[in-house]
Order: sequence, then structure tokens, then C-alpha cells
Amino acid sequence: MRLLNIVVIGALVMAAAYVYRIKFEATVQAGQLTKLRSDIRRERDEIAALRAEWAKLDSPSRIEGLAKRHLPLKQIDVTQYDRLDNLPERPVQLVPDNIEDPIGAIIERTDESTGSIPQGAR
Amino acid sequence: MAAARKGRFDFVRPLLYGRDVDRALKTRARIGLVIASFVLVYAVIGARLVMLAVMADPEAPRRIAGTDAVATARPDILDRRGEILATDVRTPSLFAEPKKIIDVDEAVELLTATLPDLDATELRERLSSKKGFVWLKREITPKQQQEVHRLGLPGVGFVAENKRVYPNNAEVSHVLGHVNIDNQGIAGIEKWLDSNGLADLHLAGFASDRQQKPIELAVDLRVQHALREELIAGRDKFKAQAAAGIVADVRTGEIVAMVSIPDYDPNDPRQALDKTRINRLTTGVFEMGSTFKALTLAMALDSGKVTLGSTFDARMPLRYGKFDIHDYHAQKRVLTVPEIFTYSSNIGTARMALSIGVQGHQAFLKKLGQLDRLRTELPESAEPLLPKRWGELNTVTIAFGHGLSVAPLQAVMGISALVNGGKLIPPTFLRRTEQEADALAKRVIKPETSDKMRYLMRLNAEVGSAKKADVAGYYVGGKTGTSEKVVGGRYSKTKLLTSFTAVLPADQPRYLVLIMLDEPQPLPETKGFATSGWNAAPVAASVITRVAPALGIEPRFDVPPSAQQILQATASIR
Repeated sequence: MRLLNIVVIGALVMAAAYVYRIKFEATVQAGQLTKLRSDIRRERDEIAALRAEWAKLDSPSRIEGLAKRHLPLKQIDVTQYDRLDNLPERPVQLVPDNIEDPIGAIIERTDESTGSIPQGAR
Repeated sequence: MAAARKGRFDFVRPLLYGRDVDRALKTRARIGLVIASFVLVYAVIGARLVMLAVMADPEAPRRIAGTDAVATARPDILDRRGEILATDVRTPSLFAEPKKIIDVDEAVELLTATLPDLDATELRERLSSKKGFVWLKREITPKQQQEVHRLGLPGVGFVAENKRVYPNNAEVSHVLGHVNIDNQGIAGIEKWLDSNGLADLHLAGFASDRQQKPIELAVDLRVQHALREELIAGRDKFKAQAAAGIVADVRTGEIVAMVSIPDYDPNDPRQALDKTRINRLTTGVFEMGSTFKALTLAMALDSGKVTLGSTFDARMPLRYGKFDIHDYHAQKRVLTVPEIFTYSSNIGTARMALSIGVQGHQAFLKKLGQLDRLRTELPESAEPLLPKRWGELNTVTIAFGHGLSVAPLQAVMGISALVNGGKLIPPTFLRRTEQEADALAKRVIKPETSDKMRYLMRLNAEVGSAKKADVAGYYVGGKTGTSEKVVGGRYSKTKLLTSFTAVLPADQPRYLVLIMLDEPQPLPETKGFATSGWNAAPVAASVITRVAPALGIEPRFDVPPSAQQILQATASIR
């Protein structure tokens, strides 16, 4: 009977200690949670402020004012627009890229085709 | 049953109190009772503990909401491409708790030194009041907050509030509207947001965080900007009192741009109180002049009584009672239907309307939504001004756009229906897909009539009064409209309201552009004319040149004239 009592008291003390630890940890975690929440909130507010500033800097009227003052650009004419399909084919490359002496390579090639412009290259 | 229960519990009483029961037995029974009651009590306490641990504290988020964010957080407003049109920024506001202030004089002195725009007497009054809470200054800068904080005054504190900012200033003002100091929408889309649930959300205390879904408008900021620039340039050039313009998608009813000059900066809402800065396109009603002839012609063609080959006598002014109806560009001959449109003949259109009759005319305009107040998301709207008694004379004048005043946005809706294949689609400032628009659409004229209308509008740009708006490459069709303003109860010959309605491209309509100028002045280069073809049409041309690339309309230069491109092509399909 006494042994049982001692075991029960021991268990009680251990349980109390364990509960205290859990409680303490929970408090710490809750504190961190609140801090993180407020951090997130502050970050969001800052992002919002930066986005607003970006929108202000990016606004068409400001860009147009700057462009008019600093750039010699003119409005695009209707005739300057075209479809991609109307773009002529890319000319055939006479020499491969990354060659040290491109002019020499062209001369070499034209020599091969007896001095005339190679076919397909316009 | 009662006897049985009595029988069952009969042994308990003698067990606890009976004299003739064994003592040991009685003691055990008593101890058992005590144990049972303790177990019960502890079970209740335990259960309650578990409940508290499992369920989150519902009071906690409310406490945070109470300490800051007095002003409602509002969802961001974006344009159709995701550019920010309106957003919230947190700014500190300064408040005081007068009961906690120890030395009012010192507080007043220090505060006025740091914030010079505070009124000293008013401040003293507020700080000496018996209230628990007073605002000292809303929306101060972070620097000012630092300085006031350093003063170390007791009873003075800060609250972070949401402040609405409009990064594009006046650019989109009339569509967006604005908010008051408590961040509540009081005009435009902002007010619409409030009346659609945001206000209730705020009352419930949920709208303090910025976790709300942004609202996407149909407005394209680039188009809006280009339209506004060109309207300002046009207003200045023709010394007009006001200018206004709309770019609308004829297939969905979306308003891609809407500008009314003079406008205001929603960051400074006081400007909006100025009456000249109202939005003329929704809150103003105007006699649209010859623009309305398009409606009359569509009605006549749709009835089947009139065809493109029909002729009307325009040799003489049309005499009606004591009124004579004249033509501005009088041809003094019999005109065909396309000629009536391109010469903008009042006599011809009036005769056409008379051939349909008053009843038919009224019914047609009603069907096109020109006689009822047009409601959109914008809370501001105006009722059309109808004649009190609608007789034949009214039909004659309304046929060419006098005697009936409508909101320009309403006219845009009507004319869109004439060119988009005959579907009347209510305009919207929010995004809308073609499917959604088709679900809302109401057929008002036959598709064939719509083809004819597009032919007429394109023809008008090829040979008629809209020549100055024919931007090469975009196949523009259009109708000019000039109306005389009523001054002192009479039509004035010099004060004009000119408008131009363009559809582009006329063979596959996608957008409708409406330009309106209020009292444009004649200039030497317009040869002294102040009618629509000389001012509103060229403004429309420069608007189209700028916005068409942004709207994704591909320029085409080898399109045959309208008779071939629109009439023959569609005739072969139908």
C-alpha cells in the first residue's frame, strides 16, 4: 500500500512537471506566433506601400512626361505596324557563327561556287 | 412503474440513515457516495479544461482589430491588365485621451511646435474636453509620428489607419470615384464596392486586414491615358468648355476607357464638389444631335418598310405646324437612304421616322433603352429627358436628335447594338467575357440591319461627314452629331455640342469610340465651322490612332470600299 502511494505521488510530480513544461513551451510558441503574425502584417503593409509607389512611378502620365522631356521619340505611325507573317524569311547565313575571320570564310565559300553568289542567299 | 422505482431506491435510505443496518456497511455506503460526487466534480472540471484547450480563443482576433485600423481596409482596384488603380497604404493617425493628459498647456505647446498646421485653440478645446478619446490629426507622416513620439506626452497615441491612394491621380477619376476620411466609398466604383457587401463586412469587424480579393475593372489604363491626353489636347485646341469620351467593347459591353474633362484628383476629393467636374457621360443628359439619326435609320431599315434603295424627298424644308425643318448641308433633291445618312439630312430622317409613326418610334427607342434610366455599377446616373407629350412633331425632331436628352453612355449602348449584329448589351465597368455578355444580350434589330448600319457608317467615313476621322488602316466608320444647346429656352446658333461616334473596324466591329465636345469654337483652320466633322471627328481620329494598337487592332491597308467589303460579303453569307 505504501509502495503504491509512493508510486502515485511520484507519477503526480512527474505529470505536474511535464504539464508545466508543455504550458511553458506553449506560451513561448504563442508569443512567437503573435510576433510572426505582426511581422507578416508589417511586411504586407510595406509591400502594399511599395506597390503603390511603383504604380505611381509607373503611371503612364509620368512616363509620358519623362519621355517627352528626355527622349526624341515620336508617336508610332500606323504603317509601322505589321504582322509577323509578313516578315521576310531570315536570310541564309553565309558562314556559321563564332568564326574568327568571317570575311575570310565568305571569300572561301564564294571561291567554291566559282565566284557567283551562293544559291539560296539573297 | 412508480412502484418499481420506489422499490429499487427503497434500500438506499435505510442504508445511509437506518438504525437497524450494519455500521460497517453504512460507512462504506457513505464513503462510496462521497467518492462518486468528487469524481463527478472533477470530471466536469476536466471536461471543461479539454474544451478550453481544444477550442481557440475566439476573443483574440477581435482585440487586435479594435486597437488599430479604424478606417476600413478596401480591396485593391486593378485595371484589366493588372495595373493598380487604387490601393490601401497604412498611415498613422494621432489621437489623445484627454482624461490621461496631465498638463494641457504643455501638450498644446509641444504639439503645435511639432505639427504646425494644428490649430492651437481647437487643440486646447479638444484636450480639455471630458471625452475618453479625441482625434488630433488623421493621416500624419511617419516622420511626424517619430517626432510626436519623442515628445513623450502621456495620453497621446497613434493608430495605424488604412488610407486610400490613387497612384494615377486624375487619370481614372470618374470611374473610380473616391472615399471619405473613414475609407468609405462615396462615389464611383468605390461606392459600388461599399454597397456590395464591403460596408457590412466592415461593420462585422472583418474588413481591417488587407486579405481581400482585388477588383478587376474593364478599364485599360493605357487606353484611358491616351483618351484623356487627346481629349485635353482637343479641348484646349477648340477652346471647348468640356470634353468627354468613351471607348467601349461592342461585343461585351465593357467600358475600356471613360474620361470626362474637367475631371478631378480622387486623392483630393474636395475637387469633386466643383459642379463643372461632374461626369458628363453618366450624370449629364444631352440632345445627341445627328448621332441619333443612326437609330432612326436602323429603325426604318429594320421595319422592312425602308430599304437602302428607298428615296425620300428633301427638295423643300419640311413644314410642320409653324416649324420648318431645314438641312444643314441642303442638297435640295430627292435623296436615297445612304445619301440621307452621309449628308446628314434632317428632312430625310424626319420623313423616315414619320413613315414608321409615333408609336413605332417610341417603341423602338424604348427597346434600345434610350427612354429609361441606365443603371451601371456607377451609382451616379441620370434619367433621360423625354417630351411631356410625344406627338408627331416630337418624333420629327427626335429623329434627328433634338427634343430627347439621354446620357451619352446610353447612346453608346444603343449604337453598339446597331453595329454588333443587333444585340443590346448593358454596359459594365467590370470584366465580362463574351459568353457572359451573350447571356445578358437582348436582340433588338436583325443582323442584316446591323450589316447595313455598318455599311452606312463606313460609307460616311469614305464620302460623308466623317472623312476627317478615317484613320488609314483601321477601317473606321462613324457618325457626326452636332446639336445646338438650349440657352434661355431657345436653341443657340453659336453654342454647340458636337459628338462623334466611331466604330472600328467597321467590317468586324470590336470597339466603339464616342467623343463629345461642349461648345467648341470655330478656328481659322476649320474654316470658321464648329460642327462635329471639324472638331469631334479629328479628335476621334487622333484618339483612334493612339488607342488602336493598345486595343490590339491590326491595321489593314488593302480593304476594299464598304459597298464591297460589308454589303456584298455579308449578303453572300446570309
